[in-house]
Amino acid sequence: MSSESFFWMGKPIPFRAGESVAAALEAAGILSFGPAPGGGPTRYFCGIGACQCCLVRIDGCVREACLTPACSGARVEELGAADAKV
Amino acid sequence: MPKCDVLVVGGGPAGMAAAVTASQLGLSVEMIEQRRTLGGAFFRQPIEGVRPIPQRASVKARWHKLSADMSRAPVRIHYGCVFLGVDSDGFVLFEDRQVGEVVRCAARAVIIATGAIEKVHPIPGWDRPGVSTAGGLQVMMKETGQAPKGRILLAGNGPLLIAAAAQMAMVGNPPVAIVESGDPMRPGLTGLGLLVAPYLLVEAFGFLRAVYGAGVPWLRGARIEGIEAHAQGLQATVVRRNGERSAFVVDRVGLHEGIRSNDMGLPAIADASTSSPIVIRAGDCSEPLGALAAEADGALAARKVAALLGHGQSRGGEQALLGRLRQAQAVLAKLFAPTIAPLDVPDHTTLCRCEGRTIGDLKNLVAGADLKSGREVKHNGRFSMGSCQGRFCAANTAELMTRLRPGAPPVVASDLTGQRWPLRPVSIAALVAATKVKAPVD
Repeated sequence: MSSESFFWMGKPIPFRAGESVAAALEAAGILSFGPAPGGGPTRYFCGIGACQCCLVRIDGCVREACLTPACSGARVEELGAADAKV
Repeated sequence: MPKCDVLVVGGGPAGMAAAVTASQLGLSVEMIEQRRTLGGAFFRQPIEGVRPIPQRASVKARWHKLSADMSRAPVRIHYGCVFLGVDSDGFVLFEDRQVGEVVRCAARAVIIATGAIEKVHPIPGWDRPGVSTAGGLQVMMKETGQAPKGRILLAGNGPLLIAAAAQMAMVGNPPVAIVESGDPMRPGLTGLGLLVAPYLLVEAFGFLRAVYGAGVPWLRGARIEGIEAHAQGLQATVVRRNGERSAFVVDRVGLHEGIRSNDMGLPAIADASTSSPIVIRAGDCSEPLGALAAEADGALAARKVAALLGHGQSRGGEQALLGRLRQAQAVLAKLFAPTIAPLDVPDHTTLCRCEGRTIGDLKNLVAGADLKSGREVKHNGRFSMGSCQGRFCAANTAELMTRLRPGAPPVVASDLTGQRWPLRPVSIAALVAATKVKAPVD
């Protein structure tokens, strides 16, 4: 299998071709994806793009980790202060 | 701007069947799908090079036929595209995530097949990392070919819990227990008529054998009361019908209380031949009866659209099959009827996760003489206002509002969510760019 990786908060995370960002983070033992604008933590929940609980920032764009295929070299980060609701 | 007779939203069983049938009936068809593969949740495809989790031969055969029919049909599929809605000019809006653009599509008809979502009841700790829907764990298994890691507890109601547990056992990590509020094994339930759909019996028997074979306790007549942080993961408290409590220390909890249509905010159904565009729903987003029914309903939706667009009447055997599956679901609902009363849920429990609103917040909001509408509760209290658009809290909020105000007219989820677009968060820049396409060029 491939030995590609993306970066989660600067740390390399290996993934297999076609795998979602959420699946790769889970496989790496990362269950919390950082604070959510509503208060609680962001994390994998429904797996089908409906709940918006797994939102992360991928190369600057806010995306559902469960829907977005992992991409080599991508910068994946927690939703920062910039994403907090106004 | 893409133009077609029919735009199908969603590439699960309903959408695929709709696209195949519409195309066979002579209509030009395009499809948008949010992922990079077809199949929806039920037929979620494994990533390349991974051995798929074990499935029954009949399920494999159905997928094989559906995907072969789909690949033969001249349907243009837009992958990585998220449905936003139908705008006031009648154009379908979707975000093409692969290029980062909002596309306005002129379609004579839209068949919406956005599937189902799982129902989850609010309990303390349901919003902790490590807690997901049971179906969420299931689709992840289908995608990766691997069981979720660590100790898993499945809790809630219905046959999906057994199916998920069986699949986990088959790939080497059975759950520590299944907590089930119903009791399908209780006496007096034989002769309920499951024979209307013998395949359900075969399926149930196969799953139960795998679950029992792996030694997984099936705690019937029990509910999960709450989930707390624990030094070794998560501690879940389970209450039995006789009031007895026990604790499970686990790494993951999968919650599931059945499914409901993923219809929050969808554009209204418009099925007159004069509608522009015609908008109809197919599969679980129209009536949550599962994947087999979704396929039949997708084909039926395509026949309906073809008739409305003047491509003639046609008939398949779909209506009869849907009737049988509807009966089978009713039998399953009786079998799995909860045998333990709902538990008290403390006020600090999160009700709306996106906006961080609790059960106590709702109680304060609806206290007092004035009878607040669902819309007021949304606008004043921010329930169902967040990025999930109420998919996971609107029904729970409506139900609690109804319970808190005995005698007042019952509230339903759509009173909170309404019908509106965009259905998913989208950047304002992309929306503005899409609007510009429409501006006259002269």
